Amino acid sequence: MKGGGSAIAATIGVKRPPRQHRVQEGTPRRLGVSIQGPMHATNPNLVCRLCGQEHGEVRLAPGESALCGRCGATLERRGLFGPDATMAYALTGLIFAVPATLLPFMTAEKLGDERVGFLFTGMLYLWDHGMALVAVPVFLFGYLLPVCLLGALGALMAGARLGLRPAHARGLHQAARMAVHWSMPEVQVLAVLVALMKLGSVVDVAIGPGFWCYAAMSVFLLFAWRTFDLAPA
Amino acid sequence: MSAPSQTQCQAGLSNAAALTLAAAIMLVPANLLPVLGTETPGDNRTDTIFSGVAELWRQDLWGIAAIVFMASIVVPVLKVAGLTWLLWSAHRGVPRKPRRLTRIYAVLDFIGRWSMLDVFLVTFLSGLIQFNELSTVKPRAGILAFAAAVILTVLATRALDPRRFWREREPVSLTP
Repeated sequence: MKGGGSAIAATIGVKRPPRQHRVQEGTPRRLGVSIQGPMHATNPNLVCRLCGQEHGEVRLAPGESALCGRCGATLERRGLFGPDATMAYALTGLIFAVPATLLPFMTAEKLGDERVGFLFTGMLYLWDHGMALVAVPVFLFGYLLPVCLLGALGALMAGARLGLRPAHARGLHQAARMAVHWSMPEVQVLAVLVALMKLGSVVDVAIGPGFWCYAAMSVFLLFAWRTFDLAPA
Repeated sequence: MSAPSQTQCQAGLSNAAALTLAAAIMLVPANLLPVLGTETPGDNRTDTIFSGVAELWRQDLWGIAAIVFMASIVVPVLKVAGLTWLLWSAHRGVPRKPRRLTRIYAVLDFIGRWSMLDVFLVTFLSGLIQFNELSTVKPRAGILAFAAAVILTVLATRALDPRRFWREREPVSLTP
């Protein structure tokens, strides 16, 4: 399956042959292989987002991905569980978002005085103390955009499942693509863990259930986006 | 999704350059001004980004110190440096190694978000640690500059279209 790599290498001017294997039509495909399209680009939507190279339509088996023949970026990926999994991840993430806002993230105790920190405690404190310019991005990136993204993915997948074509599907898709660059729940998860370690030597701290729900929401958003973003249309 | 025209590319390049410059300028107060003030009986201290990392290191939390150091100091500097390199390469004309530049772009796009770590950290700490008289944590002006710097670098990455590295190149023929 390695043959022919040098032809591409010559065309795009890289010195060493590309690592990806080329696969003939009709043969079984393995994980992570690059699949060459037919002679003409039959699916004009399959354009590499990074370099703009147009590719022909590819047919992927579950678990396979197609790589750009020019810059090597992943063009499409077909999940093991199909599009319903994306909807399930998104809806599970949305469900976890509710207890994440209501249950305590962390409790801290010093000399009998106990403080309970929720997701919004820090943002509200900053808002009240003249730091709204920090509180707003933290709220947007850490809560509002991740939740909107989960909602958008859930709505898009559910709409497709029910055979509806929502009038705003295209706009929703573009909005999701914008929102993903700004939704950073995983960074907030890491920040809370750093806070836990940092405070551990000063006060008695304990992680609360709200944090675990938030972390679960973050993981399900990751799963949902990874199966949605590069899913074959 | 058609390839951007030359004027679009040029505008994107100017925007990205302006945003990168703004981010580089913002990084100065972000690193010099204190981001966090801690008040305990008998000990009031203010921390900059760097002294926060040093404090973690002093407490023997080396792993955490390394993570915060990477996210808060290395990543923003790398990002501004990388964007400058990409912009310079794009400005000079047709790049010789578009594949490498595209890789760098993808890496910069991925790492940028992790710099928000310190902003989330300061927000969370100042909400939680408010023990009256005993111990309070307050955000300081530096965190505002730091958040602005991080947001500007993300905006700069969005403004730079990596397809411009390939604009002058023929599409690859993908037929066997």
